[in-house]
Amino acid sequence: MPVLEGKELRIVGFLCNWCSYGGADTAGVARAGQPTDLRIIRVPCSGRIDPLFIVKALLGGADGVLVSGCHPRDCHYAAGNFYARRRLEVLKQFLPVLGIDERRFEYTWVSASEGQRWQQVVTVFTERIHQLGRAPRFDDAEPLLKLADMALTSLRPLGTGQTAALDELKDAIRAKLPELDCVIGWQQGYDAAHTVPLFIRKPEDVDKLVWGPFNVNNPAVYLPSFKGKKVGIVVKGCDSRSVVELLQENLIRREDVTIFALPCEGTLDMARVNEKLGRYQRIDSVSLDEAGATIVADGTEHRFCMTEYAQGKCYGCTTPAAVLADTRLGTPTPVQPGTVVPPELALLDSMSLEERMAFWRGQMERCLRCYACRNACPMCVCRDFCISDSRNPHWMSQEDSPREKLFFQTIHAMHLAGRCTGCGECQRACPVGIPILALRQQIARAVAQLFDGYRPGLDPAAVPPLLGYEVEEKNIHERDWK
Amino acid sequence: MRIGVFICHCGSNIGGTVDCARVAELSRAFPDVVYADDPMYTCAEPGQAAIEAAIHEHRLDGVVVASCTPRMHEPTFRRTVERAGLNRYMFEMANIREHVSWIGKDKEANTNKAAELVLMAVEKLRRNTPLTPKSFDITKKVLIIGGGVAGIQAALDCADGGVPVVLVEREATIGGKMAKLDKTFPTVDCSACILGPKMVDVAQHPNITLYAYAEVEDISGYVGNFSVKIRKKAAYVDWSKCTGCGACTEKCPARKTPDAFNELTGPTTAINIAFPQAIPKKAVINAAHCRQLSKGKCGVCAKVCPTGAIRYDMEDEIVTEEVGSIVAATGYDLMDWTVYSEYGGGKYPDVITSLQYERLLSASGPTGGHILRPSDGREPKSVVFIQCVGSRDKSVGRPYCSGFCCMYTAKQAVLTKDHIPDSQSWVFYMDIRAPGKMYDEFTRRAVEEYGTEYIRGRVSAIYPDGKGQYVVMGVDTLLGQPVEIKADLVVLAVGIEASKGASQLAEKLRISYDQYGFFMESHVKLKPVETNTAGVFLAGVCQGAKDIPASVAQGSAAAAKVLALFARDKLESDPQIAQVDMRRCVNCGKCIRCCPFGAIKEVEMRGEGKAQVIETVCQGCGLCTATCPQGAIQLSHATDNQILAEVNALCQC
Amino acid sequence: MSMIRFVTADGLPGFLAHLAKDGQRVLVPVEKPANKPSVVFEPWQEGKAFTLAKATVPPKEAVLPQCETLFSFKKAKDPADPARVSLQLEEAPPPPPTVVFACRPCDARGFAVLDRPYLHGPFADPCYKARREALTVITLTCASGCNTCFCHWVGGGPSSPEGSDVLMTAIEGGYVLQAITPRGEACLAASALPDGAEVFPRAEEARKAAWQSLEPAPDLKDAPQRLAALFTDTTFWQEQTDRCLSCGACTYFCPTCYCFNITDEGEGLSEKGGRRLRSWDNCMSSLFTREASGHNPRNAKALRMRNRVSHKFATYPENWGSFSCNGCGRCISNCPVCLDIRAIVLAALEKGADA
Repeated sequence: MPVLEGKELRIVGFLCNWCSYGGADTAGVARAGQPTDLRIIRVPCSGRIDPLFIVKALLGGADGVLVSGCHPRDCHYAAGNFYARRRLEVLKQFLPVLGIDERRFEYTWVSASEGQRWQQVVTVFTERIHQLGRAPRFDDAEPLLKLADMALTSLRPLGTGQTAALDELKDAIRAKLPELDCVIGWQQGYDAAHTVPLFIRKPEDVDKLVWGPFNVNNPAVYLPSFKGKKVGIVVKGCDSRSVVELLQENLIRREDVTIFALPCEGTLDMARVNEKLGRYQRIDSVSLDEAGATIVADGTEHRFCMTEYAQGKCYGCTTPAAVLADTRLGTPTPVQPGTVVPPELALLDSMSLEERMAFWRGQMERCLRCYACRNACPMCVCRDFCISDSRNPHWMSQEDSPREKLFFQTIHAMHLAGRCTGCGECQRACPVGIPILALRQQIARAVAQLFDGYRPGLDPAAVPPLLGYEVEEKNIHERDWK
Repeated sequence: MRIGVFICHCGSNIGGTVDCARVAELSRAFPDVVYADDPMYTCAEPGQAAIEAAIHEHRLDGVVVASCTPRMHEPTFRRTVERAGLNRYMFEMANIREHVSWIGKDKEANTNKAAELVLMAVEKLRRNTPLTPKSFDITKKVLIIGGGVAGIQAALDCADGGVPVVLVEREATIGGKMAKLDKTFPTVDCSACILGPKMVDVAQHPNITLYAYAEVEDISGYVGNFSVKIRKKAAYVDWSKCTGCGACTEKCPARKTPDAFNELTGPTTAINIAFPQAIPKKAVINAAHCRQLSKGKCGVCAKVCPTGAIRYDMEDEIVTEEVGSIVAATGYDLMDWTVYSEYGGGKYPDVITSLQYERLLSASGPTGGHILRPSDGREPKSVVFIQCVGSRDKSVGRPYCSGFCCMYTAKQAVLTKDHIPDSQSWVFYMDIRAPGKMYDEFTRRAVEEYGTEYIRGRVSAIYPDGKGQYVVMGVDTLLGQPVEIKADLVVLAVGIEASKGASQLAEKLRISYDQYGFFMESHVKLKPVETNTAGVFLAGVCQGAKDIPASVAQGSAAAAKVLALFARDKLESDPQIAQVDMRRCVNCGKCIRCCPFGAIKEVEMRGEGKAQVIETVCQGCGLCTATCPQGAIQLSHATDNQILAEVNALCQC
Repeated sequence: MSMIRFVTADGLPGFLAHLAKDGQRVLVPVEKPANKPSVVFEPWQEGKAFTLAKATVPPKEAVLPQCETLFSFKKAKDPADPARVSLQLEEAPPPPPTVVFACRPCDARGFAVLDRPYLHGPFADPCYKARREALTVITLTCASGCNTCFCHWVGGGPSSPEGSDVLMTAIEGGYVLQAITPRGEACLAASALPDGAEVFPRAEEARKAAWQSLEPAPDLKDAPQRLAALFTDTTFWQEQTDRCLSCGACTYFCPTCYCFNITDEGEGLSEKGGRRLRSWDNCMSSLFTREASGHNPRNAKALRMRNRVSHKFATYPENWGSFSCNGCGRCISNCPVCLDIRAIVLAALEKGADA
């Protein structure tokens, strides 16, 4: 039904049955007058609220969303609101990257006895939404396309792995191969300027293994499909974080996985390499030196310095060596302390909320929903049961609107909260170059800020932040309702 | 589906600010709605009959009632539709009273909002499925937390009803605050004389297991099957051997140990029995003051104990009890009155609390029942009582009335005159609240027969006059003039607050508490004993201020609830619980990890691990549903599709 | 000789403006700036920048949109008896006349591949038919091959006319436009472009040079039989698909994949009404063949890859006499793991030869 024109805005409330819904009842019994905009959806517990309901509402035309649950420590179900608090806070920090004003979403705690407080919360929130006015609609945004600045300085010298102990690695794999079903690594692809994943099953396959800046794929994506089998995997530092994360989530077993690691000196941004190579028929030669690669295609020479052509993630990489390995060869280059804002995220940071919405509007138009992003993600473990193509639950329609497509990206990003290691495979896999990694990076930044610098994929024994809670959260504070 | 919608006028409660007929008319256009009406009182007998008739006449398979909050009448209407042959879960409510008609005056906006709430309920109902409750066995045993008079009453009533009782008391003896009182109003009965026999009954009742000097450590489970961990604190005395002879207390050299039972009005020994009528009458060592335990040398009590009961190496012990129901009767504490600097903030020895005064009045107290000033042991001739110290005072965060101070102040004034006939008492009060049986008569006696001077007004300052007396300065607001009284003793009617640790206990019980820490009842009028957690009941002041007869009555009421619960052999579980779609489940274990109840386990199915919900353990919070990325685990009646349908009913730009 | 016209490079916008008059939709390749730039077909408007580069996404959408509304429906209730609901169907509006401009010969051949099942089978698909009949295809011939494309392996070539109404070839100073079909003739005739018969030989030279630049093609005539013979060789297919991620990049970027899914979205009673949608489906996804019971005859990616490759190189040829792969190479260039259909077909041929 349409919103009462000129009178009301669309405000959706999610209230837990035991405290806040009762608090709203108490306010009603006390005849505590409130603005009429709010529509309350009753849920058993604030822990039941999937943050995606809120995004769904906000993308679907809600001008504001209010969540209220039992006060911390007072949850009818003991801990639902502790989980909710973390998830909702992450959401609040995520919304702006979509171009949604985070003030349009708020969560609070109101007990069943606090009718007056409820009255105040509704009044203050409704006033706030009226001050913000009608929410800009995603569908109305004028598409805007902008480029990330790839002129970056890295935290360590980038190279091409010239001195890597590849032969020793091959020996180690050969020695271990009889105990393993398969070892995953890289081999040359359709030409010398492209590598693809390699599945070593026979000793002679070991010779196909390559190491160098073309090894962009994250082989960890294949591990869950080998569950229950003995499998080896050759990893770069970033890949090893995905392995750790899979172990943490019990999606693979440590005793089943043998990790071979060489220190990584960086990988090439194949998108930019391919763009510079342009349309060519054949690669004449590829030669690597310490600083980069020289590719001759159709007789034309192209130079790719690692300092200029590395993947965006490589500049800020702090784990060139595997965080977990069974066979580790060579020494990694030391990493300077510091932080590098990933280029995609820096681009979003430089924009206003309106520009961000317009940006995603422009970007998502060309998405074909091939889901290469999802399937290339090592942490996308739902595989054949992704809610994006399910009718029950029916989160997404088959409509090909940019809004639905962005909603899928939000689903992916939210599901990766506290789990995404930033390997960037989603973005690398996207055939039409949508910078979707920025959404995951914003989630990762929010998680790190809220949970004491937590970075996924470093410790197999860590409790993922969104599957845990603290009774007193250090970095999450109740907001004022005055 | 064929859905019927009933928009209740609730007299003028809803009809006054919502155009109910219009909402019904709009509802007829909603999907699957085949019938809509706007009865005057839907919950009344004719209203319910009309629903039943409509179900038959229009072959309805689902019903939406838009009326008051579902927290009130959802069970009522579920029974209604069930009577007419529908599954009781094929029913939804839209709250158009508390959430609409009572909070807004704009009829157009209200009507529109009510219609939208009905639409949301219809959309949700369309996705409901019939559910059938499962029945499960119950443990017919009750845990009662707190051995004050409310807990004692509940324990005795339950035990007499044939239910085994586990009574847990934090202190070394049961009896609670009442055991400390000298007399009780309005009859001026001896408190120990009326409570004592009940305490003895507790000790002797074959159905009662008493854990004194123990606390509830952890509670898991759910109605019918709670598992409770009880921490038995180390008393350093083997109670199975202790006979309560008191030989140890006579010989104990640590004679400056603070006496909590006597409200610190005098010292006691490190090994101690709280008072002569204590139940259980067993000694406890105060480790902080015991020379053997703190300094490692003494051991006198061990030497003198005729039964060899002393155990200096004793440690806390955890015992587990399985119970089907829990009664919380944890009482109250006095607030920290020293925040009042105008009353000396605790500096003056002869400014004491009313509970301390009770100990001075009591024959078992430190003065043997003689009123003697703490400072010099002199008998006071002028006594000033100040009421509402920490009650009805927003400035100290205690806006509520403590309920029984007016009455005990009158009692203490009467007793003062009894003890010291040539004394004079003054009472500073705000209002006299004496609504109970024979209460007002009693306060009148205090004035008329005992000559107590009542002064309506507050005290602004108390200071010593340097000659052994205290100057009490106040204002008589009836006369509108300042008052100055020289007092030998000042007694403060200190207000109550929730018992220390009440909020932590509430968290263990998963019940709500208000902002002052008092436990929340399920409905303030109609369910004053129940909580929102099934199987957990309340008795006494832990729920709110009340005097002894009210606490006893609530203790009995809680017992009645427990007995009613246990009158059935099996309980029905709420079928609105989580369900796993085994095909979607990838066994990532996230749901198992965060379920607060341990209600999800991993099972093997065709060689693959899958999550499975333990039906009787699941409480239906839905945390797992919000956690599962595949949407493989869905909470019945709050499924993703149902909430999405509600969102979509509102947001479709 | 067919109708020939010439347009200068500067004259292209004018030609597009001519095509776009009377509301005709002219889909042109547009470059989307990004760190990985892509080229997609979008409706041309006056002043809109376009490119003549090969598009990342083929123009299949002109006839088979990613998602199309087959019809929409609204329900109305009888206020006197809300149980009585009347249903009103609204057909999708007729598709606008459309020109695909500057697609490549492989893309144009894609339309020919789609036409067979959609138009020439026992039933003609009305939605497809309406779009197809309103479509004019102006194809830019390729000057060279590229690292992933292989049109000449599968019966096409850099200037193959199949599926095109007009062939356009770059020569110095402009483009020669050659009508291939009557529709192409009409299109060129209506334009004010000058005759290009004089420069046509230069276009022919350019086409010949393009052909000559290609690497020699393997002979694929045995592919249908060889692949059919390998149907039960699961090990072969497993080895070929080890690295497949089961995403839809290969099928959604393919100019010849034509599978779809049909869903209803929305409620008939809502303001927006309900829509019956036809949207692309992807045989590489396990959902493609998952049955209502939960059973899935193609539950492994190897079986799904077998289906895709066999369909293009064995079963479609069996039904229609030609490969349903046009060698555009997009499934290779857009694959996140560079899975190479050429390599699979060659491996099948090799394996068959061994046997």
